[in-house]
Amino acid sequence: MFLIRSIDQTATGREIVRERAVEGNELTIGRAAENDIHLADLAVEQNHVRIVPASGGRLRLQATGTLGFTVDGRSTTDVTIDPRDGAELGLGSYRLSFAREGDSEVTVTVRRTEERQTAKVDEQAGFSLAAVMPSKRKVAWASLALILLAFLAVPIWSHINRERVAPGINKPDAVLMDASWRTGSLSSVHHGLEDNCEACHTEPFVAVRDETCLTCHKDIGDHSAEPRLASARGPMSWGDKAQWGVAHAFHKPGPGACTDCHTEHEGAGRMEPTREQFCSDCHGSLDQRLTDTALGNAEDFGKLHPQFQAAIFTAPGQEKLSRASLDDRPKQWNGLRFPHDMHLSKANGVAQMSRRLGTARGYGQPLDCASCHTPTADGVRFLPVDMEKDCESCHSLVFDRIGTTFRTLRHGDVEQMRAELVALDARTPRNTGRRRPGEYGSGGVYRANFGGPGTALMTGAMSEKGLCGECHTPAASGATLKVLPVTQQSRFFIHGWFDHEPHKQEKCTTCHKADTSKAASDLLLPGIAQCRDCHQGETATKAEVPSSCAMCHTYHPRDGAAAAPPRIARK
Amino acid sequence: MAAAPDIEFAGQSESDIRRGADHESFLTHKGMRWLKVSFGLSLVAILGYAFADVSPRPNGGTWYGYILGTIGALLIVWLSLLGVRKRAFTGGRWSLKAWTSAHVYLGLSLIVIATLHTGFQFGWNVHTLAYGLMILVILSGVYGIIAYAILPQELSNNRREMTQGQMIEALAAIDRQLEQAAQPLARGEADLIIAALGQDTFAPGVFARLTGRYRHCLTERSLAELTDRTGDETHERVVALLRKRDGQLEQIRRHLRLKALLEVWLYVHVPLTVALLAALAAHIVSVFYYW
Repeated sequence: MFLIRSIDQTATGREIVRERAVEGNELTIGRAAENDIHLADLAVEQNHVRIVPASGGRLRLQATGTLGFTVDGRSTTDVTIDPRDGAELGLGSYRLSFAREGDSEVTVTVRRTEERQTAKVDEQAGFSLAAVMPSKRKVAWASLALILLAFLAVPIWSHINRERVAPGINKPDAVLMDASWRTGSLSSVHHGLEDNCEACHTEPFVAVRDETCLTCHKDIGDHSAEPRLASARGPMSWGDKAQWGVAHAFHKPGPGACTDCHTEHEGAGRMEPTREQFCSDCHGSLDQRLTDTALGNAEDFGKLHPQFQAAIFTAPGQEKLSRASLDDRPKQWNGLRFPHDMHLSKANGVAQMSRRLGTARGYGQPLDCASCHTPTADGVRFLPVDMEKDCESCHSLVFDRIGTTFRTLRHGDVEQMRAELVALDARTPRNTGRRRPGEYGSGGVYRANFGGPGTALMTGAMSEKGLCGECHTPAASGATLKVLPVTQQSRFFIHGWFDHEPHKQEKCTTCHKADTSKAASDLLLPGIAQCRDCHQGETATKAEVPSSCAMCHTYHPRDGAAAAPPRIARK
Repeated sequence: MAAAPDIEFAGQSESDIRRGADHESFLTHKGMRWLKVSFGLSLVAILGYAFADVSPRPNGGTWYGYILGTIGALLIVWLSLLGVRKRAFTGGRWSLKAWTSAHVYLGLSLIVIATLHTGFQFGWNVHTLAYGLMILVILSGVYGIIAYAILPQELSNNRREMTQGQMIEALAAIDRQLEQAAQPLARGEADLIIAALGQDTFAPGVFARLTGRYRHCLTERSLAELTDRTGDETHERVVALLRKRDGQLEQIRRHLRLKALLEVWLYVHVPLTVALLAALAAHIVSVFYYW
């Protein structure tokens, strides 16, 4: 038995509840009037659902036709429900809820709803992520505006409206937000310009100009005069032509502009040394374009580089240095007599003498290079050998002894020396011959006037074993006390640079064959082959030291001692 | 000799072949033509990078860097035009499918082209911002492809032939019964049911939707409170209905989660593409402004 409770609403919203009982244990539902529950909805079939009892007090709901129905929102055509747990049958706009209290009759509450079964479209919108996410469009526009404002509008506006000041290190940053434009840190030499982009980037859309660089680098030397540079460069390849065509279309300066070689924003640290290619483009085949050049072609240190030319004096009296290729085994003339081999021997009298002098005086072992040659403070080169410090321990100029004190001739001052020796003679008792009568007396056969010890020294001084002549070249004949000037060169290469400091782990004799040199005229410089043992060109990655041109040479010529800045030469 | 059939291949008529072609995914479109194009482009870019004579080191400021940058910028602009193109559904040679296929594969090749353009130099600047945005856009796109390949099947399994509307309606049906069934309950218990029924299924935010974890689910709390009090028929019925509601919620939440996973990448992909276009403009203008 079923209790059917129909709930209808009046126009004013008041509910009218009608109840009736249906006998029997089956129930039919449909649009047709003969059904137990008659639903006036076109969406409902004439005979739509039949309800029959199932085991355990449950009910089986079956579709009469092919059209299904919903139970608790799920579409079905055949389902069994337990009215004690409750269930809701949906048919068109009607909802029928089933309930049963204990073993009483099943109550079916019929109610018509406003809407159909499917939920409204706006309810379904909740399924989309759009319901809980900010609009894509709004986020897109906001980020677009933010980025264009912060990274474009602000820097450009402040760059245009900045106060113009002469560029220089550590000037205040006048452009806002342009740090966000920086493509990389500046090299250490330009670090002071790091926040001051406008120092170099003075005009919008204009590449950095040479003039800007030259405001600070005023004294930079030109590599060569411009027409000569242009002819050395020669015609461009089609690839270079195309590249420069594009570059010039965008108003990039060059070729030959500062920025061609010196690229910035490559990261903190040293500025990248200029690539070998920049040099070899011209110097690799320079003789073809500059027929009058004295320079040999150079392309790669390991593959194409002329032999070194040493600037030396070759004869006494020469005033200007002359250059000679080391291939020609040139002899130098420096005014000295000095056999390196004798001094470096481990077993001769020199070695023995050094041993005898003892460690207390800085010797004790056979001589080595450092016994005489002292590096400069920066370690790049060597100081001239100093007679008093480096030679005199052995080559003593002591000429007199008074008590326990020795008197020493002053090296380098001939007149002073002569005066000292004459004074020695005057002081020393001489054999006048007066006490020797006869043959030994004055005018006798055995009469000998030895003069004083000073005179004796002076007489033999200029001979090869003499006091001066042992090391010096006499400047006049006979016993005249006069020597030719001595030159000790600290550099032999004018256009290149060599730093001893990074080479100090190497033995001196690896490069300088001093231990077999018998004469001071030997030029103890290593040739290019020697250097190539370690140094090969920039691209020779297997060499111990891949070396670009900039390791030894500089593009901008410098006056004086430093042909290459130590900064470049060092590393 | 009998007339040959119009076009026949392996027993298929022309229309069958055409239908088959229509069902081909944009990923496998035309035998992965655009994958090949993209692969070739990347290979050429890598070879060029290896052999280009640039100084002092490879980056965006060398001639090769400018070439890669130009290609990359044009690609980015073209790729972003899919947003315009997709609104016009056409077939044929330049069909939307072909366009989408090219979008996906050329977009992937952009990883190679743009990375080589950077010369592996990165920093805190607008240039790396543009690169970072581009990578995020590409990665979100890759995620989108994977999501579109995997999730629809799961979504379909979870629906069990119910529409979204039916899921809502099913929940509403349970709610109505629950309200009826809960009438005899005491104040405290009734409040639990009111709270559970009043909780908006769609209120939880994107995090809850993506993870499927709802810490403050009042239905589950009510169930936990009432589940031990099944002494009488009313309580039994309410607990049974709460279980039903929980089950229905679970289906809806799983549906929400899958939908969120399907849609979320577009909330990265689309706005970041627009941001990328802005950053790209700033990148290009700034480079030539400070030239």
